[in-house]
Amino acid sequence: MATVRGCNLPDDLFYNVDNNVWARKEADGTITVGMTAYACALAGEIVSYTPKKAGKEIEQGKSVSTVESGKWVGPVKAPVTGEITAINDIVAGKPGTINADPYGNGWLVKMKPTNWDGDSGALVTGGGVAGAFETKMGADGFGGC
Amino acid sequence: MQWRVIDTGVRRAAENMALNRALLDARQADESPSTLRFLRFTPCALLGFHQSAEQELNLEYCAEHGVDVQRRITGGGAIYFDETQLGWELYLHKRDLGTADMSVITRRICEAAARGISALGVNAVFRPRNDIEVDGRKISGTGGAFDGDALMYQGTLLIQFDVEKMLRVLRIPAEKLADKAIASARERVINLADLLGDVPALEKVQASIQQAFAAEFGVEFMPGGLNATEQRRYEEALAEIDTPDWVDMVQKPVSDRPLLEAVQKFAGGLLRVRVAYDKPTERLKQLWFTGDVFLQPKRTLADLEAHLRDSPLERLDENIAAFFSGRPADMLGLTPADFATVIKAAVAAEKEQA
Repeated sequence: MATVRGCNLPDDLFYNVDNNVWARKEADGTITVGMTAYACALAGEIVSYTPKKAGKEIEQGKSVSTVESGKWVGPVKAPVTGEITAINDIVAGKPGTINADPYGNGWLVKMKPTNWDGDSGALVTGGGVAGAFETKMGADGFGGC
Repeated sequence: MQWRVIDTGVRRAAENMALNRALLDARQADESPSTLRFLRFTPCALLGFHQSAEQELNLEYCAEHGVDVQRRITGGGAIYFDETQLGWELYLHKRDLGTADMSVITRRICEAAARGISALGVNAVFRPRNDIEVDGRKISGTGGAFDGDALMYQGTLLIQFDVEKMLRVLRIPAEKLADKAIASARERVINLADLLGDVPALEKVQASIQQAFAAEFGVEFMPGGLNATEQRRYEEALAEIDTPDWVDMVQKPVSDRPLLEAVQKFAGGLLRVRVAYDKPTERLKQLWFTGDVFLQPKRTLADLEAHLRDSPLERLDENIAAFFSGRPADMLGLTPADFATVIKAAVAAEKEQA
């Protein structure tokens, strides 16, 4: 568990720090994808969630879902290339779940990675997480969660 | 530092939306400088990115009256746009702003835009979360889109404005289009021509807004046009956006978005509320209060409507309490709890029907 400027950033997850997204490897070979607590703090309360459809192939760095907060709309980007296998009905009904529980019920999509071993090299995990986010928060002029 | 200013003139909604996409993508790819764009529209109804046309618009009226229907790439609610309004947009990189906090960016841009509008001789101020107003009446609505390190923030500015046309384009039941409802909607918006007693020259309005952004960001604006890659991106975006697939990308049933109403007598007077309610997410999308109540300052009702826009029903009590705790209001017997009571009555009536 890492906490950076008050933001919870579990260090067992895999992060694309630039895009502020996380991935968790599940036992069945799929991954779960979501927004970081830091991304939620920057966005404010999320009011809309439109994921790409299950079955769709998404390239690393392309949008898996669009979210809206405070009239701002933006994409959440795939940490690795893969096929979307599930979208989150809880979040569809109550998008604020993303803010309330970003690493639990607030996940955005589940994916079947095409090449996890290759793609995940670009992600940060474990001991590198805190430093990478501290650098990003500094560049973003972020006060704290 | 130099930024670019572009005036793309009067265009169809699809062209303006495609330019949004193209210029944001080009800014993200570092193919464009930071840019201020002025834009205008032939008559159109513009949906927020996540909205559905069926839920928000009177599509029959739009078709009959040549009002284009389009989807923005930014968030927020549906609006009516025509030649009597000016659009302004900034395309920036996050490093232009020194922060990635969306609400901070909103405030900074809106306050600068408000100063630009005020310089024309009116008292425009930012009203959180996304409006610019003059004495409690909205003169500009805003919203944004981001992608990676690039962002686009856009606003309207009412120069002259046909409130009745707006009401007919948006999905509001016919009985609500009574004179009283139109008068009440008219009280909530204001335009520059009415404030100034004359229609201001477009060049003057644009120059004033441009100067305010130049001062805020410490930049100089150089007039320019689209570069070759922006033009290519624009053509690609237009091919995607100028289609029914784009406009109908989000489709939600009208029955999920009832327009509810309740009226209740309190010690402080008769209070009526109309609520656009989203059933699946249990959110109050928009509210309109009217009634025989005495409130000072008068703008309290409009501010409360803005405060509660797109808020969850389950947090209604705390949201209303937070609103009134921050401002002294003389309500002559009406209490903050009365507002929650009448809103809940409107929603409860719908639940009973269901």
